Amino acid sequence: MSWRTLPRLAAPLLLIALLWEGAVLGFGISPFYLPPLRQVLGAIAALWPAYQSAFLVTLAEATAGFAMGALVGIAGGIAFAHLPRLRRMVLPLFVVSQTVPVIAFGAIVVLWFGNTLAAKAAIAFYLTFFPVTVNTLAGIEAVDPRQVALLRSFGAGSRELLWKLRLPAALPRIFTALRLSAPLALAGAIVGEWFGATQGVGAMLLAALFNEQVVAIWAAILAAAAVGSALFALVALAERALVFWREEL
Amino acid sequence: MSGALRDGLLGAALFLLLWEGVVRLFGVPPWILPPPSGILVTTWAARASLLPAMLATGQEALAGYAIGAVLGILLAMLLALAAPLRRLLLPVIIAVNAVPVAAYAPLALLWFGTGPLSKIVMVAFVVGFTVFLNTLDGLLRVDPAGIALLRSFGASRLGVMRRLRLPAALPDIAIGLRVSTVRSMIVAIVTEMLGSQSGLGWTIYEAVLQIDFLRVWAAILLASLLSLAFFGAVGVLERRVVFWR
Repeated sequence: MSWRTLPRLAAPLLLIALLWEGAVLGFGISPFYLPPLRQVLGAIAALWPAYQSAFLVTLAEATAGFAMGALVGIAGGIAFAHLPRLRRMVLPLFVVSQTVPVIAFGAIVVLWFGNTLAAKAAIAFYLTFFPVTVNTLAGIEAVDPRQVALLRSFGAGSRELLWKLRLPAALPRIFTALRLSAPLALAGAIVGEWFGATQGVGAMLLAALFNEQVVAIWAAILAAAAVGSALFALVALAERALVFWREEL
Repeated sequence: MSGALRDGLLGAALFLLLWEGVVRLFGVPPWILPPPSGILVTTWAARASLLPAMLATGQEALAGYAIGAVLGILLAMLLALAAPLRRLLLPVIIAVNAVPVAAYAPLALLWFGTGPLSKIVMVAFVVGFTVFLNTLDGLLRVDPAGIALLRSFGASRLGVMRRLRLPAALPDIAIGLRVSTVRSMIVAIVTEMLGSQSGLGWTIYEAVLQIDFLRVWAAILLASLLSLAFFGAVGVLERRVVFWR
């Protein structure tokens, strides 16, 4: 991290913290709606090991499902780009699959996988693979046919075309999809934890709701934000490493 | 029949046949995966209780969707017109949006009770955000040369908004509205599952407790049909309004 990115990241956080405290003090908001930020941070500090492990558990679930979804999505996009018939038969099913309120599946997925990391990862996966498939396909299709013709004239086979031209050209769009679906993967993991999990940010949220502890709910919301930021940072780092030429364009 | 439609129907038919075949061939117990025919039979048999639940969820989703869409578009127009306000509020809005919506559901239930209001608020919140972010994107992406031209003819800020920015942003607004359809259903169901006395989410939660998994699948089927219909209806509207796309 360079000396310039740190203040750029910290400034909005500071602004939000100030607005939060200021709003609570200035408008006299009841702690039932928004407790003061110090109180929420105090609650997190008091139970630091619990929040830390919840953060790690949920991050692991979301990341596992997200990574699977990314791999399957990219593979699906490549397959659809090469096999138009398969695409016409299966892509509509993919579209319909996304109108299924996946959260409703939570109970069934937990039944299938038990109360394991795999159950939450499966829900995160379901929410991730579709945007990645669609963007991979769109990215591959947007490749300039003249570039394809040029590489072919040099004797490139379809494998080389894929690795040297189509996939690199599709990468920026793939990363757009990854950035959009990272929060979805996290939502999947959190809701997956509502079906009997004892660990993780989602389990904490549920416990706080049942005890009607507004401070604990806000603390869990902050923990969820931390997991979301961590996921987002992972995607951003991968993008910087893989799409290194982007800034030159 | 066009080739795309034929292949699509073929794919769906093969998928259902495969599902039914695998379940029957391997004798998969229904609590793991019921066959599609079994789900249909259960749905029909339980229609007296499932249809009111579907109606309740649909009403919550639709009410929240309408409120959220209007608020999202208005807020985006306001922030597109007022740059200082935008610079102040946008980081806050993005931070609030960085938390998965599901995490706010407990708050909504505590504040607005377990009736339909908490679901409508949650749906409006999610739809509002999605529509807002898409609309703002579209409103701000307008060609500066076009704005300069309109302003040189004496158009006010509002005139630029009405004649240039809004029409230019319509495709983005449409995307936001379309994505929001499915989300509105998901959020209504999630909030119902956490606390409610009616709706498909509540039905699912109850059926899980009673270990009645066919009923869960029946509720999932109805929820999917409802969101598919909603998605399709908004898609048709979109093609009429954004006809030049």
